[in-house]
Amino acid sequence: MPAQPAQDPITSKSLSFHLLLWSFLLILSLAWALYDEMYGLRPWRSYQKRFIEAYSSYLQREIPKQQQAEQSIRSSPEYQKLEAQWKAAEAAVAPRLSEIDGEINRINRRLGVLTPVFQEARGRVAALVYQLEIARADDRQSRLREVEQAKQQTYSLSLPGLKGDEVEPVQLSYTDLELEFNRLKDRKAALVAERAAVLAEADALRRQLESYFSEKLAGLTGQQLQGLLRAVNNLDVRIRQIHNESAGLVDRCQSCHIGMDLSLVPPNLTLTKAELNLEGNPDAPFSSHPNIELLRLHDPDRDPAKALERIGCSPCHGGNGRATSSVVKGHGRHKYWLWPLYYRENFEAGCQMCHAQDMVLDHAPVLNRGKELYRERGCVGCHRFEGFDNEAEQLLSARQRIRQLEQQKREYEQEIARLQRRADDPATPLEVARQLNERAASLPVVMSQLDAEIEQLQQRTVSLMREEKKVGPSLKEVRVKLKKEWIPYWLANTHEFRPDTKMPQFRLEEGEIQAISAFIWQMGLPGPLEKQPRGDPARGKQLFETRGCLGCHSIGEGANKIGGDFAANLSRIGEKANYDYLVRWIYNPRQRTRPYDPIAKKDLGPGDYAKHGKPFVFDLKNSRSPDGKHELVVMLPTVMPSLRLTWQEARDIASYLITLRRSDANYPPAPYLDDPNLRERGRELVKFYGCAGCHEIATLEEEGRIGTELTNEGSKPVDRLDFALLTHNAKRGILPDGSPSPRGKWYDHKGFFEQKLANPAIFDQGKYKPDPRDRLRMPKPNLTPADINALTTFLLGSVDPQVPNDLLYRPEGARKDIQDGWWIITKYNCMGCHQIRVGQRSALQDLPQYQGPNADKLPPPLFGAGARLNPRWLARFLENPALSETDIHRNGVRNYLEIRMPTFYLSDNEIRKLVRFFEALSAQERPFIPPVIQPLTEAERTMARDLFTHPAAPCLRCHATGDPAHDRNATAPNFLLAGERLRPPWTQRWLLDPARMIPGTAMPSGLFRREGERWIFAGPLPASLRNYRGDHAELLVRYMFLMTPAEQRLLISRSPRATGASTGGNE
Amino acid sequence: MWGDWYQLWEIVSAPDNVPIVALLFLVPFYTWYAFRQAFETDRLIEQLEKDPQLAKTHHRKTHAWQPGWPREVHTWPYLMRVEFLAAIIVTVILTVWSITLNAPLEEPANPNLTMNPAKAPWYFLGLQEMLVYFDPWIAGVLMPTLIIIGLMVIPYIDENPLGNGYYTYKQRRFAIWTFLIGFIGLWVIMIVIGTFIRGPGWMWFWPTQTWDHNRLVFEVNRNLHEWWIFKHIVPQNIWAWTVFGAIVVGLYFAGAAYLIHRICMATEFSRKIYRRMSLLQIVTMQILLILMLALPIKMLLRLVFRIKYVWVTPWFNV
Repeated sequence: MPAQPAQDPITSKSLSFHLLLWSFLLILSLAWALYDEMYGLRPWRSYQKRFIEAYSSYLQREIPKQQQAEQSIRSSPEYQKLEAQWKAAEAAVAPRLSEIDGEINRINRRLGVLTPVFQEARGRVAALVYQLEIARADDRQSRLREVEQAKQQTYSLSLPGLKGDEVEPVQLSYTDLELEFNRLKDRKAALVAERAAVLAEADALRRQLESYFSEKLAGLTGQQLQGLLRAVNNLDVRIRQIHNESAGLVDRCQSCHIGMDLSLVPPNLTLTKAELNLEGNPDAPFSSHPNIELLRLHDPDRDPAKALERIGCSPCHGGNGRATSSVVKGHGRHKYWLWPLYYRENFEAGCQMCHAQDMVLDHAPVLNRGKELYRERGCVGCHRFEGFDNEAEQLLSARQRIRQLEQQKREYEQEIARLQRRADDPATPLEVARQLNERAASLPVVMSQLDAEIEQLQQRTVSLMREEKKVGPSLKEVRVKLKKEWIPYWLANTHEFRPDTKMPQFRLEEGEIQAISAFIWQMGLPGPLEKQPRGDPARGKQLFETRGCLGCHSIGEGANKIGGDFAANLSRIGEKANYDYLVRWIYNPRQRTRPYDPIAKKDLGPGDYAKHGKPFVFDLKNSRSPDGKHELVVMLPTVMPSLRLTWQEARDIASYLITLRRSDANYPPAPYLDDPNLRERGRELVKFYGCAGCHEIATLEEEGRIGTELTNEGSKPVDRLDFALLTHNAKRGILPDGSPSPRGKWYDHKGFFEQKLANPAIFDQGKYKPDPRDRLRMPKPNLTPADINALTTFLLGSVDPQVPNDLLYRPEGARKDIQDGWWIITKYNCMGCHQIRVGQRSALQDLPQYQGPNADKLPPPLFGAGARLNPRWLARFLENPALSETDIHRNGVRNYLEIRMPTFYLSDNEIRKLVRFFEALSAQERPFIPPVIQPLTEAERTMARDLFTHPAAPCLRCHATGDPAHDRNATAPNFLLAGERLRPPWTQRWLLDPARMIPGTAMPSGLFRREGERWIFAGPLPASLRNYRGDHAELLVRYMFLMTPAEQRLLISRSPRATGASTGGNE
Repeated sequence: MWGDWYQLWEIVSAPDNVPIVALLFLVPFYTWYAFRQAFETDRLIEQLEKDPQLAKTHHRKTHAWQPGWPREVHTWPYLMRVEFLAAIIVTVILTVWSITLNAPLEEPANPNLTMNPAKAPWYFLGLQEMLVYFDPWIAGVLMPTLIIIGLMVIPYIDENPLGNGYYTYKQRRFAIWTFLIGFIGLWVIMIVIGTFIRGPGWMWFWPTQTWDHNRLVFEVNRNLHEWWIFKHIVPQNIWAWTVFGAIVVGLYFAGAAYLIHRICMATEFSRKIYRRMSLLQIVTMQILLILMLALPIKMLLRLVFRIKYVWVTPWFNV
């Protein structure tokens, strides 16, 4: 018990100190709350204030500079001259102008007095007329009288006169007022029109002056900058948001990233940290958008501000557009925001959400590379991705559709029978019977329409069977193609043998390798394979380097590597390949050892053909099964084209390639490959590891993909990504090797994709899996960090779209054709040899043998090819680039090039898509209707001949003629092709300025000069043309399109020989 | 993984868990504080009872009245000023708390994805924890209803007039212990378990053990009739299980009722109070207390002996 106090503890104790202390703390916390409310929760306030400071000081620095620039333009002689002209023109019309202005002034004065009186009178009359209109019949007369009286009523005014300052007092009735009013108005309109006419010349000069000024001045004028400065100094510090109601989009990013506000920083002003003197400051989000062109692209009117209004920021960049309370929340980089801001190196992922259907996108090189890798590296062999390698799926659905249509046809047949039965029934009334008969008669027409669709679908299935490719080579050919003992070595040491191969390294035990090798070997087809004599390796090397192999293949190891990385590096091909097969492969890579029957699911041998009494012949022309019932797969599923080499050339190249080997190459013998006991285990393993995703393997042709679908992988909840035992380290920013992660926590999609791609087995770390088949199956691709980043970007962007459908890029018409075309262009690596996108380089362009003057040995760039080429010709050319059935070992157009346009054995469907692609890229209307070429008169023909053979423009010096002696030095195509190959409007534009279309072309520019409405030859005019009034370029085009072999022979006899002294080379 | 202090820090520092961390300190403190006051009052009562003269005039809770002290103390200012001070302190605490910790809004709801562990708000964690031990309709419907009814009937059962307006232990021993067991022993402890102990998969993680989503534990829960010697005794037949369970539960009811009765009859004071109660009051109190006691017993059976159900019937399981 506590001691009894002397004083009452309740009344004697003072609480003053506690009350004082806590009241003080209360005030303090209130102050804190207020500060938090103003700044703590609203960091954008301080950002905006800092922006105002930085931007206005930038503008203040900029304005004098710009004014100085303006001054220097104003003082330039051209400007002065234009200004003087303008002033002179104004002075010339000044007297008349002042007359007109004086009269207009006087009219205005007079109208000023007249108008109010007239309007009042008109109001009174109009009201009375209304009363008259609604009056009863008996009242009408009196109402009419009232109107008449009102019209007669006079008004007295003092109107200023039209001559001078005199005032004329008048008495006018309503009718007179109206007349005078209209007269003055008409006169004034006439005077205004006259004024404009008088000033027209001076105005034109003024506009010229202004446009000269704005052209010379880069950026904004000092006045405009002053306006911006005023705007920024009076800036209202508030939340700045983009609100697209229909898209449910609210983006407040500009509250901090205020430099992105296009009303403050116009599109032609670029703000960077350096310009704002904030370089090195990590917390200064004031730059303007670094790629305004990208914004322009996203608006039909190319207005960047409208694009921003519609799309906002977060749909592309990720992040939480609504959040304003902190950087972390705005960027959405916390575990509760599912769409965090993409990191700088992955920002192109934002394109993928809307552009998932595009294989190639401008402004997105990393994403393009990711997609390219996804296809080329065979990710698609295991992981389905919407749009990638979907030929098999399309084939399935086409076949299903055919079945449906046939079923429908059968139903129609039954329907016809039923209708006729009912019509024939005597109980049916005549009229009804007639209708039934009519319907029965119309159904066969409907059925024939179905037949048309079925026929198209069947064409399509044939196309699709041809289009279906595999990433890896067909393993049915291993027995004829490979050295036996190399196979197990390859499986165990994939990347040691060829570091940049598409084949990933599988995690296999020794026993598994033996079983897989044995299965593959034993399932290989035995032949037949023709024996080939040896060729000349030196010539082979030369052919290999000039025919175009290096557009896709690379050669040389490490730093010595040259060539494209689309196909295999051939540096050690001699260690693995069988010479005889190599010759056949180079001659025609699509040549199968045996055709595959997709219905019977077997490879057909000579015996199967003999059963039907047919020779063992199969190619694109003999592609039916021996029983003639269905199509066979007659080509290997490779994208490698035929270069239309002769057998001797193929032997030479093969003889060269077979020498490419390391001198110490030695593989242990592998007798177990013939052990039949291993086969079944091998089959299980091959199925288990999904080898058939990339390779054609006998008996496993129909195997599906074994991996997870990745179409929406970026949207997968992060909990469903199997970080396994690394989960906790990922959440704490510790990398699998124990080092700290540079960006902290990596428990997110980016972290998962990056680690998985660097080492797919990493998530088995620490797991106890004694059975290899329990381990993660994904093999290791040998990717560079840049490639890992590209694939990560692609996967990060592969999300379930969060924006409304109308924002997604699902184009139709020409844009769809472009979209479709890129899939084929990238599938066959057209860009390995050709330039198709402006600014893109082909693999060949970087080779040493095409540098400097040798650049004209390169294949032609395809800029504007759709505007250049006749689509029907283009289709024919793509189908057969030799443009000949018999003389196939040549280029159809540019026979003078050593490099050869290969035959890709494209399907009809692919050719159609490619032709449409090129037309769409050049904005050509479809279908193509060839313009009518006016026939030449005899005089015109003479003139054209003179131009053609003019010493200042000897066309036939460079253009091929078909004469081998002449063509040896030719650098441009034969004119005989022009008529069917080219489009006349393009040809005319080409003649006028070829360098503009294809920079660096050998075709000279400036051959013609403008004279009034026509183009005339720029050199000394031949006598025949002096009196010609027509367009010279147009005349030449007509002549060219009507060229005949006889005409060409005539020209050859008249022109100098080709000398080959040209630089660059196209057209 | 043991000794994972980072894990513990993650749980303790989560904004959701601030009230529970505070609870860990505040509940023991106020329990201790209340008991100190109660014991002081008890001593005062003893002192006053010795001096009937003093008893008639006392108005203080801890000190006997003394000459010279005011006989009465006014609400204003003596009570109001203390309450005012308390109001200021609470306001300061709440202000600072609300500035420094924002409401933990999480990601938009996704019907395709359940978070793991999915936890109820902290004040319902006790109910969620009960789901481990009983079927949902018992833990989620019956028990909460009984808790509410039980709280409602307290004034009708507890007619002991003593202890109103002052802290005392001696005069309200039974009520205090019932409260301590029911609120702190069951409700608070279950909230603490739900917050700190239950991790992914609602598995039992000791503090500083890593919350591993991939953790696997081997636990087999059996019904009572499959356990120990009972599996040899009870026939494998649902009706036998029903009868067996009914017997066990009946035995528990009888035993618990006897125990409670013995506790009520323990002291002269409580006997006095007990005798004053009507039969209805006694029965109601017995049932509520028996059911309350069933919870820790079931928890014990489940956690220590891995017993799933005691009473299996075709209609319900307990």
